[in-house]
Amino acid sequence: MVATAVTSAFFSVTSSPDSSDSKNKKLGSIKSKPSVSSGSLQVKANAQAPPKINGTVAVTTSVEGSKNDDGASSPPPRTFINQLPDWSMLLAAITTIFLAAEKQWMMLDWKPRRPDMVIDPFGIGKIVQDGLVFSQNFSIRSYEIGVDQTASIETLMNHLQETAINHCRSAGLLGEGFGATPEMCKKNLIWVVTRMQVVVDRYPTWGDVVQVDTWVSASGKNGMRRDWLVSNSETGEILTRATSVWVMMNKLTRRLSKIPEEVRGEIEPFFMSSDPVLAEDSQKLVKLDDSTAEHVCKGLTPKWSDLDVNQHVNNVKYIGWILESAPLPILESHELSAMTLEYRRECGRDSVLQSLTTVSDSNTENAVNVGEFNCQHLLRLEDGAEIVRGRTRWRPKLAESSANMDQISAERA
Amino acid sequence: MLKFSYCNATDLNQALVQCRFAGSFGPLSSRRRSPRAAVSCSRSNLTPIQAVLSCQQQVGSDPVESELGSLADRLRLGGLTEDGLSYKEKFIIRCYEVGINKTATIETIANLLQEVGGNHAQSVGFSRDGFATSPTMRKLHLIWVTARMHIEVYKYPAWSDVIEIETWCQNEGRIGTRRDWILKDVATGEVIGRATSKWVMMNEDTRRLQKVSDDVKEEYLVFCPREPRLAFPEENNKSLKKISKLEDPVQYSRLGLMPRRADLDMNQHVNNVTYIGWVLESMPEEIIDTHELQTITLDYRRECQRDDVVDSLTGPELVEGSKIHGTNGSATAITREDDLDCHQFLHLLRLSSDGQEINRGRTEWRKKPT
Repeated sequence: MVATAVTSAFFSVTSSPDSSDSKNKKLGSIKSKPSVSSGSLQVKANAQAPPKINGTVAVTTSVEGSKNDDGASSPPPRTFINQLPDWSMLLAAITTIFLAAEKQWMMLDWKPRRPDMVIDPFGIGKIVQDGLVFSQNFSIRSYEIGVDQTASIETLMNHLQETAINHCRSAGLLGEGFGATPEMCKKNLIWVVTRMQVVVDRYPTWGDVVQVDTWVSASGKNGMRRDWLVSNSETGEILTRATSVWVMMNKLTRRLSKIPEEVRGEIEPFFMSSDPVLAEDSQKLVKLDDSTAEHVCKGLTPKWSDLDVNQHVNNVKYIGWILESAPLPILESHELSAMTLEYRRECGRDSVLQSLTTVSDSNTENAVNVGEFNCQHLLRLEDGAEIVRGRTRWRPKLAESSANMDQISAERA
Repeated sequence: MLKFSYCNATDLNQALVQCRFAGSFGPLSSRRRSPRAAVSCSRSNLTPIQAVLSCQQQVGSDPVESELGSLADRLRLGGLTEDGLSYKEKFIIRCYEVGINKTATIETIANLLQEVGGNHAQSVGFSRDGFATSPTMRKLHLIWVTARMHIEVYKYPAWSDVIEIETWCQNEGRIGTRRDWILKDVATGEVIGRATSKWVMMNEDTRRLQKVSDDVKEEYLVFCPREPRLAFPEENNKSLKKISKLEDPVQYSRLGLMPRRADLDMNQHVNNVTYIGWVLESMPEEIIDTHELQTITLDYRRECQRDDVVDSLTGPELVEGSKIHGTNGSATAITREDDLDCHQFLHLLRLSSDGQEINRGRTEWRKKPT
């Protein structure tokens, strides 16, 4: 499972739960590539070394050394890596992820999982990987568990948001508030998210500890991409992958802006050159209207607790509203496995929203497996102005639940 | 600090099997944990009670490897205090827990109080349904329900502040128990808030309050201090204040509030904390913009189901013998006249359909610190 997840990340192959046969096939294809002489896993940063801020950036040359000595740097990663252009950044990311994957394949018992990371007591997280990847652990709290007995999608998204901000802070890229670097603040610029894609392989439950890794890359000339990888801290199993696209906006004029040179200077040292952690969902998101929507929920209003420090509705809250109009039978028997959102407009305290949902034909090519559903969503204001457009995929809840019920009745007897 | 490292996949297994929320939730987590579960107690320094408890944990358990607590427990940074009678845990405030004031919202604080209460219950071997039902209670189909919640916040923590919450339980009358909390800022050591709550025992089948015999009470009271220890020891403190019912016509209201899916907890009930959000929905914006919540007291009367529609009503609380607030109808007028810069309000949450009271509340607000 991890193997497919990892390989799909870098080969832009749609991941699918597959039999062990196809998994072996993928491994096989990796191994058959010719090996190249370069065996060094040394990673060089971009021309500018990431600035040290209060010693929080872990310069990891020693870590690289230990990786070289470690028997875990075995042929498969090297072979795979050598297929790609000589991007040392990519090497670093892949190595990290492969080491985690390898642990699964070889059933190695690594504790702690990454020697460069100490479990930090207050969960503030650390920058690893030459200062480019930020990593933080979260323990799932009881109030983060939803009706499904697992962490809710909002909880997951909250964790992503938290690591993004902590990454900026650790890198010294946080000006006033949460959305801008110091140079951006001077120019009244903020980052706004335009697109979010999330794939959940498994939801954590109460008491699980998840590790969230995040990094940024360039997206076109004037955008930024932020990727996340969420894994189970104890087992290393990958739980969730997410990627997001951000653009710069002037917060006063509300117009999009190019990235000014001063800001480029601040952020480019932190960009990794890597492919997105998720294959881009290139399908056009359809705009629903009253005639095409099957389910509509009206009169949704933000509460005080939905607002962030700028008095705008927090991005994560939109997901809750989107799901308000999802049909209850699907919500009860299925779980959200993938989601693509396009953010069009923000809304504030006084907005009144409507949530529209349509269940797509589950027999189209979009649905990968039997029993899965696709839904299309729209969140809009009463006057029709679009807030978020989305698509979700749902898979049947794990059969484990029914197995547990059997166990419970057996124990009661 | 004596730390009960658990869990007690085995103990949890037993507890949750009988838990009224038997679903995929409990057994799923315990099954996954059993290979590495930790049932480790340091045998030295155990009081007789704790020795008994650890014995119970071993009874009927599968042999498990002992570790120094699961990762979650180590990360949780919480544990029973040395005398085993209270529980402390540290939390860092996350960015999404912070509201328009750039400080933690009252909902965040209430969520953390609930979390630490549940962790306390779990650490002494009770179920994790949030209400600390002991095994005997579960046999008798008894559950705890919240009767009153009272929170005072003196200084709201900001993003990335670390706070430490201490909590403990005490007996209260024949059918009640009380849970108290003290919140401290770890960096400065100062007390930033206090809270107390009252719970009563209800039969989950009849939905009626029920008295129990003393030995049923004893079962959970072993974990509570015998000497009265109150978060609010002062006489006539506000946690005891009776809340009058808000009468029509009401000055401020927000009608048609509905539970969202995210407001439902793992038991499909509307989370206690959601009510706090609803109460604040009808607060006038002038107060929210200029003041911060200092005190909130809620009396829970009736549960809200997921399909209910709720009206939130607010009115100023008239104080006997002092300036009458709110008669001008304008909150800004009050601010200018009031030299204490403190405002008190009464609240009512009721069903839209028939006006049945869900809960009533009281809040006090102070001017935001500059």
